Parts: sequence; structure tokens; C-alpha cells
Amino acid sequence: MATINTNERILDTLHGLRKYALEKTARRKMAVGLRYHEEDSYLMRFANSAISLNTNEHLIRLEIVAYEDRRRASYELITDLGKLDEMKQGVDTAIELVSHAQPLTYQPTIPVYAETFCDESCFDPALAHISNNERLAYFNQAAAGLETDEIRLSGIFSNGATTLAMVFTTSEHAQLFRFSDAQITAVLSHSGLKWEVIAEASAQRKVDLDAGKIHRDLATMLNHYQHDAPQQLPLGRYDIIFGPAAIAEMVSVMNWIGFDGGMMKRGYSFLSESQVGKKVLSDQVNLADDPAQRETFPFRRDLYGMKRGYFPIFERGIFQGFIWSQDDADEFKARPTGHSVYHTSLALAGGGKDVPHLQEMIAMPRERDLLYIPYLHYMNIVNPSKGVFTASSRFGALLLRQDGSVNIPYNVRLTQSLLDVFGEQVDWLSRQTVAYNTSGSYGSRNPSAVIVPIFMRVNDLEISHSNASY
Amino acid sequence: MLDQIKKQIEHIQRQGATYVDTRWYPYEESNSLIMWNGNLKEASFMRQSGVGVRVLYKGAWGFSASSDVNDLAGIYAKAFDNARIAAERVTFPVRLAEKDAIQARFVSPNRINPMTVPLAEKVSFLQQMDEKLNQPGVAQRVAFLNFIRKQIVFIDSEGSEIEKEITEVFAQLSVLGQDAQGEVHERSFNLGQEGKETRGWESIDSQFFSEQADRIVKELNEILVAEPCPKDTRSVILLPGIMMLQTHETIGHALELDRILGYELAYAGGSFVTLQDFGALRYGSEKLTARADATLPNSPGSFGYDDDGIPAQNNLLIDKGILVGAITGRQMVEEANAKARRQIFNGSSGANRATAFYRVPIERMTNINIDPGEDGALEDIIAKTEKGLVMDGTRSWSIGSNREQFHFATEIAWLVEDGQKTRVVKNPTYMGKTLEFYNSLSAVGDRSTWKVEFVANCGKGQPNQIMQLGHGVPVCRFDNVRVGE
Repeated sequence: MATINTNERILDTLHGLRKYALEKTARRKMAVGLRYHEEDSYLMRFANSAISLNTNEHLIRLEIVAYEDRRRASYELITDLGKLDEMKQGVDTAIELVSHAQPLTYQPTIPVYAETFCDESCFDPALAHISNNERLAYFNQAAAGLETDEIRLSGIFSNGATTLAMVFTTSEHAQLFRFSDAQITAVLSHSGLKWEVIAEASAQRKVDLDAGKIHRDLATMLNHYQHDAPQQLPLGRYDIIFGPAAIAEMVSVMNWIGFDGGMMKRGYSFLSESQVGKKVLSDQVNLADDPAQRETFPFRRDLYGMKRGYFPIFERGIFQGFIWSQDDADEFKARPTGHSVYHTSLALAGGGKDVPHLQEMIAMPRERDLLYIPYLHYMNIVNPSKGVFTASSRFGALLLRQDGSVNIPYNVRLTQSLLDVFGEQVDWLSRQTVAYNTSGSYGSRNPSAVIVPIFMRVNDLEISHSNASY
Repeated sequence: MLDQIKKQIEHIQRQGATYVDTRWYPYEESNSLIMWNGNLKEASFMRQSGVGVRVLYKGAWGFSASSDVNDLAGIYAKAFDNARIAAERVTFPVRLAEKDAIQARFVSPNRINPMTVPLAEKVSFLQQMDEKLNQPGVAQRVAFLNFIRKQIVFIDSEGSEIEKEITEVFAQLSVLGQDAQGEVHERSFNLGQEGKETRGWESIDSQFFSEQADRIVKELNEILVAEPCPKDTRSVILLPGIMMLQTHETIGHALELDRILGYELAYAGGSFVTLQDFGALRYGSEKLTARADATLPNSPGSFGYDDDGIPAQNNLLIDKGILVGAITGRQMVEEANAKARRQIFNGSSGANRATAFYRVPIERMTNINIDPGEDGALEDIIAKTEKGLVMDGTRSWSIGSNREQFHFATEIAWLVEDGQKTRVVKNPTYMGKTLEFYNSLSAVGDRSTWKVEFVANCGKGQPNQIMQLGHGVPVCRFDNVRVGE
């Protein structure tokens, strides 16, 4: 395992660089910001029931942002704390660059931290330092007895530690955040028939890890896929129960083309300022940005030092207001809402239906056929003004027959508006919620998760395409 | 540094590794500039360097990377340790296809290193474009420049030593407006090869970009007053600006051998193609010939040698409609041949690439091209189309997990009625099933319609990787396609 740098060493280095930047800019009306990102990342990848890749990266990134009047420029390097000269050269470069940048048409706010803030409450060294053997043991337990020559295990066990620290020449105070995270995806697929079932988990602490639950969910889905009859669904309208992956994906898309103030001002939103205070979605929809939710790897201060608390977005379907990053607020003369963060902490509240597990959902009595879609693959935005997205079902859809039997539908395509999916067609949301891990690994490590009901039923949604086979 | 790397490789081999390679990036630089409605929203520069080490031990891969090259031994030890634990769960021991040991150097074609161009000159270009785009009907205007320059030194335990210097230039202009109903529409231009022999700063030709700016503003204004796209079944004539994405998503990704063999099932997905299909599957009509051509001059998909150390190649993927090839690296061809119990692939096609020193190489597209056809120019194809849509620009794309079906939205479409291109329609979309769609290919434009488009951000793999590549494609017509949904 790589040695993660201590807070003291990181902050000492940043303060040293800050002092250097102050000296370099003494005769100019400038400010310099230093943002440090350190990741110690581990990923064990499985395919065809083998470990197809076992990798780790220990990377330190330093972003240096220089401001002069309305000009702004940044320089980033992947470096090492021992390379002080290289980092100082980076400061020199950013200072040089900003003089050639074009002034913005608005005055950008420069962070002035009023106090030093360190948050390591979401860091569990036991999870960050989990060993190769433990990762392998977890997967062996999760898939125990489920693999055959034809049914193969795929997936990832990704875990790591992320440290973010920042200081500006405008203040001697600093901010530091440290997170531990794990993202687990386990897939069983049939090598000949090409069907796939999935179980996933997110962890912020080591005690969150539960290979037994992954095993139970995989076993349940596998039992249906091995024994129930497959079918091509006729095109038409269906009552659909979405699983947590699908719900989290749709909520995340709302963050993008819905309630982000900057996106709205730029025309990429299905919400408008005139809708604030008005009922837009089902009265069962209560969505907030809630940094108190530990499982979302929250930022309790934003990058400008603003305290972040509970921020309602929809209450009983009524739109409460847009979120604003500082830069968008500066440009569009809005009030910042503490949303200059690497990720939000979205939480869609549970509803009134008691459905704690997959097994209970499948066993529920039903008055008509229901289509269960756990996962939406390759979602994309067809028309942002109307909130229309398109995506295909994947990873273990089920057709839950009225008579209690189950069929296996081949994958289908939905092209729908988020206003309908979260609108009056919502039938119920499960009382129980789960943290669904939404982390990607493009660029620097940025663990994120969305709290969502485990299940959400939406009636009368159209299927526009239906596969004729797996 | 090279001597230290070679010593470490030998050291790990002595411990039992059957293969070791190293990619050392002495530097990778990038520069990204975004001007949005006259505001220079981003002026960022990035520099990184480091080492990535891949170790094969008892048929399993281990990988480790670090920007701190002072502890080279630690990086190799970690990669070896990762391979040792991976060797505890092996179902098909990794074997690598034969290759020659190569000592070589590759430099991508460029005349003016974009990293040496002063920031003020780049900003001046963006300001000029911003002024061109600032026209009636345009609510949002974006001009974007992205430059990448990197040096990669590849060394492996089989005696190869390859140095590459790659320079990439990507540029985009984009305008957005709202129609009378408040719906947003977009039109954009992405820099491709444009028939040029090099792609340094010299690609940024103000006159050429100004012409493109005028065109997209004009077309946006046509979209803003257009009627909605019809919802029916008709022919679609795809211009290179969308045909490249169609090719990318439903030929390129579908024919990556790691996907076919199930190595991406937990994330990106699989492929409807099976090993039995090679040499037999009718993928498309006889008019369809597709190839993976990493020898195409001046494209991001031409990189000299892949990250297995295999030289660039030009291989057929689909020959007159029949599936004949795939996008492959050394590992996957061995596994595919063994599992198929026949020799499908005669060695790696040289398509194993990593996005950075800290990522492991995987099968990536090179230049996935469609050969020009014999159906004339765009006007000739339109003249022979009774009821259709001419479509261009990528607005949204969504593809089934086995690449078996798709839904695309384009930025613009023009109605074709009785052999005439008549008027623009808004919110155009089309969808289909991959094999049915390619078998409905009824016209392929000639060389005059063929264009090399660049892709700056193809995503794949876990940990995720972004890759740059190209697509040389002609105008293509497909019949009986569902549109407007």
C-alpha cells in the first residue's frame, strides 16, 4: 500500500507554496489558489470468473488557480510532495498565464476562508487500507456456489482514499477533506445466452461491507433467470418498478438538466425560474441535497468555504429552487447556495410502501403485470427542454405477472420525460432507502453516491423498442 | 531512467514474471480553453509524468502506476504483488500472441507545436470566433480548443523499445438557441482531418473556422423556425457528422474483441457478435465495407505502435457485408482462437491502448472507417431517394448493452421528398436494430463524400479511460428506418 500523506505534511506544503505565491505576487493585485488532490486507488476487476485486472494508482494532483482583476487561469500537475521546485514552477506558470487571459464580463469571487476546516469524519482507514486478499475473499463469498461453466462472474471491487486540501493567498486558513470509499459491482452472466444479473454495493466504512447481501441478491435473480421463461415484450405501455440504480441515474440526470441554476440559464433545463414554488412533480417526490448523509461522501463546506446544510429541491413535488455554484452565481447575479462542490449529496426520500428487499418486492401481491427494471443502460438526453431521456433496461429485468409468476423480458428501450417518470404517474416509493454509488473513475477519484428509495413504481410508461432475444 | 527501467524489468522476470512492460511518460501536457458567451470560462493547462508497469505472472495481470519515479522498485513490486493475488483466480491463463521485438520511434504529424503558441494568440482566435457566432437567434455560443502533447516510452521484457511523440488538436464551435415554444436547439462544428496532412496549431485556420461559424449559425436559425421531425418510417441519409457516431457505436464498439469475449460485461457491456460469426455473419448489405486503419495519415487513431508494441495496421472488419475482423490486442486474439478452436485471428491487430501512464492498455478503436462507395455524390443519393431525411450532427446517442439496438438524436435534418431536399425539421431522431439497419444500407457515397472525423473522448474500461481516435466515413443511406421517436 502506498503511504497516504499526513494532514500536517499536506498543509505545511500548501502553506509553503502560499507563502511563495504571496512573494511572487507582492507587487500585483492578484490572488492564487492551491487545490491538492491525493488518491490512493485500488481496483480488482473480474471477468469470465477470473481476476482480469488488479491495479492500483497513487497520484497527487495540484491545481493552481491565479486571479487578477477579472482574469482567471489554472495550471494543474500530477506531482509528488517531494517535488517542491516543480510545484513552485507551477505557481510561476499560473501567474504568468493569467496575465494573458481575457477578462471575464463579471467579477469572479475569490475564496476567503474565515476559518480552517478539516473534515475526516468520512474517512475510515480500515476501508481505505483493505488488502488484496480481503477484496478477493469478499468476491469469493459474494459469488460462492453461483458460478458454473456457463455462468460467469464479472465485476469490480474498487476502493481507495481521497484527500482534498485547499488554501488561497486571500487567507491563512485552509480546508481539508478526507474520504474512504468502496464501490462493488458483481455481475453473473450466461456466456451463451448473454443474459446478465447484477448486485451492487457502496461503502464509506469497512463495516458497511456485506458480501452476504450481494450473494442473496445475485442468488435471487439467478434463480429466476435459470428457471423462468424468457419473452419478448410487446411494445406498449407498462407499469414499471425501477430499482435503485435506475432511480439514482434519473435523479443524477435531474441534477444535470433540471435544478442546476447555471444550466437553466444556459438553456439546458426542463425547469424554469417561473416554476419555483410551483408543483412540478408528484407530491410523493421529496428531493434534497443533504450533506448530513455520510453515505454520500459529503462536502460540509463548499470550495469557497460556504457552510453546507440541508437544501430542499422538491418538497411534495413543489420545486423549491435552483442550486447555484459560486461561479454561475457570479455570472448570472444569483445568490450562491454552497454548491461549488465536486459532487452534491442528493437524497430522494423514501415513500410509504414497505419494501425492504428485492425478495419482498418480487413476492408482493399485484393487481396487474409489472415490469421491474433495476438498471438503465446508456442513458442520454434527447430533449433537455422537455426532460426527455432515452435508455435501455439491463442487468436483470423481470416481468412480474399478476398471478404471481415471473417471466424474463428481453431488454427494452424507454424514451420518456423525467417530468412523467417523477410526475403524477408515480404510484409509490419504498419506505426503505439505499446509498447507490455513482462514482466514476474518469479523471481524479471523486467518490459519490445518491440516496434513493430501493424501489419506485411508476405507471403507464411506454416501451419504444423490445429486443427479440437476450 | 531507461537503464533503471530495464533493470527493474529483469528483476521482476527473475522472480517468475513471464512478461513485463513499462510505459514511461516523460511528459504529457494538455491545454483546454473554453470561451462561452464571450467569457473565457476555462484557461487550464496540465502537465503530468510517471510510470505504469504491467506484469504477467502465472497467467494473470498485475498493474501499478505512480507519478513518483524515485521509487521505481516499489512500483514494480506492487505490480508483481497485484499479479500474484490475481493468479489465485484464473480461468483462462493469459497468453500473448507472438510479435517481433521492435526498436522504433513515431511522431504524429504536426508543424507547429500548439504548446509553444502564446495563450494570447489562442484567446485571440477564440474571441474572433465568439464574435462570429454572436448573431441573432444565438442565445449561447461556445468556442473550444483542446491541445494534447505527450511523449511515451514503451519497453518490454521481449526486447521492444518504442518512443512516441503524439500531438492532438481538437476544436469545436457550438451555438444554441430557443424556438418559439421555448425548446432549446443546438448546432455545432467539430474539427476533423479536413484533408490536411498535419494537425498542429496550423489546423486552427481562422478563415475556415469563420466559414463554419457562419454555416452553423445559419442552420441553427433554420432549425428554430422548423416544423417537428415526422414520426414514421423512411430512408435516412447520414452525413459524416452522424455517420461517424453510428459507425463508432455499432461497428467499432461491437467489434472490440474484449467486449466479444465478455471482459466488459460488468460495465460497458458485451457484443451481439460471437466467435462463430467471424467469416459468416452478414453484418450489412454488400455495400458495407468497414476497416480498422491505424495507418491512415494524420488522425488520432494513427499512433504508430500500440501499447503492446505492435505496429499500426490496416485490417478489414467487414468485407462487402460479411464480418471478417475485430479490434484486437495480443491477449484477446490468443483467447479467442483457443475458445473458437480455430484460427480466427493471425496475431494482434495493434489496437491495445491506454489513456495515460496510470491506466492499463485495453482494446481501443483505431480509425474505424467505412470505405467510399459507388453511389455518387450526396446530391446523387438524394435524387434517388423518394422519402427520407438527410441527418447531421450528434445530439444524443444511446445503445443497447450488446450493441444490438440504438437510438440517436441529431442536431439537424432536412426532409427529402421525391428526390428533392426540401426543408429543415427540428428534434430529429432515428432508431434501429444494428444488423437490420446495416442490411438496409442502400447507397454509399463516393470519395467526394468521405470525411475523417475526430473523436476526442471515447470512454471505456474500469478504471475509466478516455481515448482519441478517428472515423473516415462517407455519406450513407439506410432504408425503412423509424424516425421521430
